[in-house]
Amino acid sequence: MGVLRERAGAVAFFAAAAAAPLLVRDNFFLDSLVLILMWGALSAAWNVAGGYAGQVSIGHASFFGIGAYAAALVSTRFDQSPWIGMLAGVVVSIAAGAVIGYLSNRLKGPYFALATIAFSQVLLILASRWRGFTSGSEGIPVPYRPGLWTLGLGHFAWAYVALAVAVLFYLVEVWLERSRFGYQLAGVREDEDAAEALGIASRRLKVVAVTLSAALTSVCGTLWAQYIGFVDPFYVFSVDLSIRFALNAIIGGLGSALGPFLGSLLITSLETALRAQFSGVKTGFTGIYLIIYGVVLILVVRFVPEGLTGLAARLRARAARA
Amino acid sequence: MDSARRLGRAQIVGVLAQLAVSTVLLGGIYALIAVGLTLIFGIMRVVNFAHGEYLMLGMYLAFWAFTLWGLDPYVVLLPAVPIFFGIGLLTYLLVMKGVIHASHNVQIFTTVGLSTALQNVALVAWTGDFRFVRPWHSSKVLGLLGTAFNLSQIVAFAIAVTLTVALFAFMKWTHTGRVMRATAQDRDAATLMGIDTDRVYRITFALGIAAVGVAGVLVSPLYSVYPTAGLQFVLLAYVVVVLGGLGDMVGALLGSVIVAGVEVVGSYFIGSAWKEILYFMLFIGVLVFRPAGLFGQRGAESLGV
Repeated sequence: MGVLRERAGAVAFFAAAAAAPLLVRDNFFLDSLVLILMWGALSAAWNVAGGYAGQVSIGHASFFGIGAYAAALVSTRFDQSPWIGMLAGVVVSIAAGAVIGYLSNRLKGPYFALATIAFSQVLLILASRWRGFTSGSEGIPVPYRPGLWTLGLGHFAWAYVALAVAVLFYLVEVWLERSRFGYQLAGVREDEDAAEALGIASRRLKVVAVTLSAALTSVCGTLWAQYIGFVDPFYVFSVDLSIRFALNAIIGGLGSALGPFLGSLLITSLETALRAQFSGVKTGFTGIYLIIYGVVLILVVRFVPEGLTGLAARLRARAARA
Repeated sequence: MDSARRLGRAQIVGVLAQLAVSTVLLGGIYALIAVGLTLIFGIMRVVNFAHGEYLMLGMYLAFWAFTLWGLDPYVVLLPAVPIFFGIGLLTYLLVMKGVIHASHNVQIFTTVGLSTALQNVALVAWTGDFRFVRPWHSSKVLGLLGTAFNLSQIVAFAIAVTLTVALFAFMKWTHTGRVMRATAQDRDAATLMGIDTDRVYRITFALGIAAVGVAGVLVSPLYSVYPTAGLQFVLLAYVVVVLGGLGDMVGALLGSVIVAGVEVVGSYFIGSAWKEILYFMLFIGVLVFRPAGLFGQRGAESLGV
């Protein structure tokens, strides 16, 4: 019942996203749509580790940055397609994700969160100081070459690329809810000792979940770098970015498939609206929406820890009782 | 030939002395930053991800007092203690009180949200510019055991150590300190003994914030002041605290000296640009191999969850 309603909501959400570019051909609107889908997909990727596996990372920007850098370096230094860069990024992220996943076996709660922050800081230092390879703190401009193979696309085409990724990641989450792997993961998340006692290889499951999450995040990192056209180490490896991935998923509802997209819809629209509102105040803008992020995060985990999807279910239950 | 070798030896001794004294001076300051973090964790079982932001606020307090009224940071120290105690109390009542018994994830995101909000309040209010506090003593060079340091560094060390010792004494010999330690050992038993744990948490959080806020004032003549200044220090404080064992105050002191040593020796040999990578590697290494800290109790890392 609840699941059916969730799936119906998802179909409506993605159908609306598919129809919107056909109806509104405005670049500002299309840009917002791409961002909503891309941030949603990133939070869905985070949700695989943070929500379904219960491994709360505040260093997921690591994988985003790896994906962004891989594509930028592959296209600028080796003159290859960003799709090959995406593949390279995924390979590196799988390796890095396996390391983080291994850490998750040894560390819990705040310890794991600390380790993931430290990991993203190590990558930030590498990317910003290793001038010979990464161009250091100046970052890398990603060349714009028209065509799908080089990912030089217009806003209209980007909307559909982002939609495809969003739907794909949503389906990965649905698979996690329906598959044997997902059930076992839920068992480990809720009670690791009990799951172990039932013969579930909890350590291996957690490593696989974190690695999968890392690979998906890396794919988005590549696409984001191609879309924005610039890779700045202090942005792609920042703690703020890692928090953002978590924020959308938490607001939408941890461990719910549509949650990250709803969270992204809310937060990204809010950001876009604020950007329009404060377009005159150049320096102040970034700060203002981040203050709101912070406060929203505090309020949501305090008062609606189950997120928007959970809140909706609670309200429906109350309405049904009344 | 002989004299050249002797000169070489004298230089080596000089360098070693400089490195050793640098380590101790830096370690003392790190200890004051880390001790509040470990106090809050030890008693409340909360990792305060916003800890560095209070350091940043302390630095801004010193900056504005110096710029607007020409007050020396060491004068600002006196009002800084009650100011940050008050800010800590307020933060506890508004933000932390509601999540003290919540899950780890809720606590992590509460303090992470607090950190983001505070950083950006500073960004909006005071812009992202790097600011400097340069009182007369920050450029006054003193010789010490054949080594050279500026006066601010030495005074900061002395005050940091004094305050850390005072905090230790408070924890050890006052009634409130004993009550706090009892709560750290066993929350439920403490409640059964009639201890008002809410009061303990209130005082703990306020004390921890006061320590780090004062540390911010102390280090203001030594480092540049900007909205995310706290991040670098707090990452460092995490390393210190994990090294010493989360919640272990004496461990935090030893951890401070180790981290300071790694930083000082690392910057000397491989350059200051890469020194951070050293202590992050150290951090991850300790988390993986000795998650309860070098001297900590076993199993502390998997508490709860």
